[in-house]
Amino acid sequence: MRFERIGREPDYSRYMDLKEGWLDRRIFSDADIYEEELYRIFARSWLFVAHESQIPKAGDFLTTHMGEDAVIVARQADGSIRVMLNSCPHRGNKVCFADAGNTRRFVCNYHGWAFDTAGDLKGMHEEYCYDDGDIDFKNHGLKNVAKVSSYKGLVFATFNGDAPSLEAWLGDFRWYLDMILDNEEGGTEFIGGCIKSVMSANWKFGVENFIGDAYHAGWTHDSGCRSMNDGMPFPPIDMENSYHASVNGHGWEFGTEGVGDLVLLGRPKVMDYYNKIRPKMAERLGEMRSKIFGSVASASIFPNVSFLPGISTFRQWQPKGPMQFELKTWVIVNKNMPDDIKEEVTKGVMQTFGPGGTFEMDDGENWENCTTVNRGVVTRHERLHYRCGIGRQIEHDTLPGIVYRGQYNDANQRGFYQRWLDMMTHDDFSKMPTRPEPRLGNVAETRDLPGLFAL
Amino acid sequence: MTDTATLERTRQGTAASLELTHALAQTLYREARLLDTENYADWAEMLAEDLHYHMPGIETRYRRDKTDQVTDLTRMAYYNDSKPEILKRLSRLETGTAWSEDPATRYTHIITNVEVELTENADEFRVYSNFYAYRNRNERDEDSLIGNRIDIWRQVGNSFQLVKRRAILKHNVLLSKNLNIYV
Repeated sequence: MRFERIGREPDYSRYMDLKEGWLDRRIFSDADIYEEELYRIFARSWLFVAHESQIPKAGDFLTTHMGEDAVIVARQADGSIRVMLNSCPHRGNKVCFADAGNTRRFVCNYHGWAFDTAGDLKGMHEEYCYDDGDIDFKNHGLKNVAKVSSYKGLVFATFNGDAPSLEAWLGDFRWYLDMILDNEEGGTEFIGGCIKSVMSANWKFGVENFIGDAYHAGWTHDSGCRSMNDGMPFPPIDMENSYHASVNGHGWEFGTEGVGDLVLLGRPKVMDYYNKIRPKMAERLGEMRSKIFGSVASASIFPNVSFLPGISTFRQWQPKGPMQFELKTWVIVNKNMPDDIKEEVTKGVMQTFGPGGTFEMDDGENWENCTTVNRGVVTRHERLHYRCGIGRQIEHDTLPGIVYRGQYNDANQRGFYQRWLDMMTHDDFSKMPTRPEPRLGNVAETRDLPGLFAL
Repeated sequence: MTDTATLERTRQGTAASLELTHALAQTLYREARLLDTENYADWAEMLAEDLHYHMPGIETRYRRDKTDQVTDLTRMAYYNDSKPEILKRLSRLETGTAWSEDPATRYTHIITNVEVELTENADEFRVYSNFYAYRNRNERDEDSLIGNRIDIWRQVGNSFQLVKRRAILKHNVLLSKNLNIYV
């Protein structure tokens, strides 16, 4: 399925030169570019829509957005998950107004058209008004997305029938994802509820911050770090043993010291918990991944999901126009954690990265002003600098992806914008470059990988 | 109590005397003035050592949905804090590097609809109120946060200390980039 806009084929490559390391500011505020992003990126990517734990039982549902398209995510009687437009095929009204719940039917308030949780049209108010041949029930259900798939608890959906499998989309990034999704038997779950907030900023500023911007942390968040840790500033970054890794626009920046993000969370009991399970984590994921987990780190999944492994905030940047996004925040925990540790993690996340969190409070204003100031008609023609660490690419035996040495780097940001450019310029998914060539191939389980990855 | 449209306001206990009601209303106004002027040191003095300060996140759910969004403390919350946790948040302001607080945010707290009633503990009082917390910052940043509160205040000598507060903000999507304000 194609979602094309007619008559607009600009050359997006003129908006950036990632080998030189600069971006054109117009990609952060231009309305036409934003519309094109909705078509070419959000309508074609695999997008995060739910964690399996949010809708465990048949009839459980939640509502969210894929790009700016409102969707319902619903658990079926057979355990599968359907994702469908939250829009009645009759006049387009919303058929579900709740954030979440459990139901047998979604019924439109306008004319009573009723759909089951798979989206099939089951009936309507005063059905007799339709004569034979007026309506084909089979073809007037809630429009389902093209594909739905899960990776270790995270549910993704895409409107794009030509999209590769979710495993291929995530590619070697699964090696990194397993550090939060699979670091302990039992997997993960989300804590109940979702905190939503609004920022007058372009969605990409949130994603690029989490994908690689360790650099801002020690400055922007000096106050947050000191408040959570009895006045201690950020620990110095070990530029030799910290990295950026980029895979198809996804990115993870990380140290290997194992404790940095856990310290920032400010909950000693959580630190103790992870120290206790770390030997098992090393058996499960290899020593390298057990050392990365808990380090100062941040990550984003292309295009618009981010998280902090160790701090356990999980978030999505939902585009709401070129200069606004809605931030949805959850807390991700290991299912097998004792309740008191889950509570400690939840409190820690909300004290650091909730809207009233000691870290979160200093981020929004930066992103809002990056967006609004970049819009000035003269300002927008000035290039932005993305060259930090541009010469530090390495080949690493253990770490998959495009790897750069040194956590203070713009490498993952460049990788993100490279994928952005690839998607904005390639009509045909099969011709879109894979960056880098995958190591994992079709191996389903990163735990079962041969020696190279088990280090 | 799962109704998030408004907090339970029916009288559970006996209404406090005019004198006590007046004293507690004055306490709420004084607290609002301290928050307006960022006098967090004196505000912290008004908080009991066993404080629980709670502002749950409120999802939009159908009326038939019995999910307890208000009192279930395991769910996501803007605040679910003890006094030491509140002090931790406040300590950010003393670091000199809380960049988004400089220039200062301008606050006004408007506290209304004060009702005071007795509890089983002779020295503790249940206090209902509504808040309108307004903030304005830099040029045009403007937020209006409105909701209900239900507090327990404890008499200590001639003054009162906040023991419990549950504040229900009426937002589903917090219509702001952050929540650098206490209500």
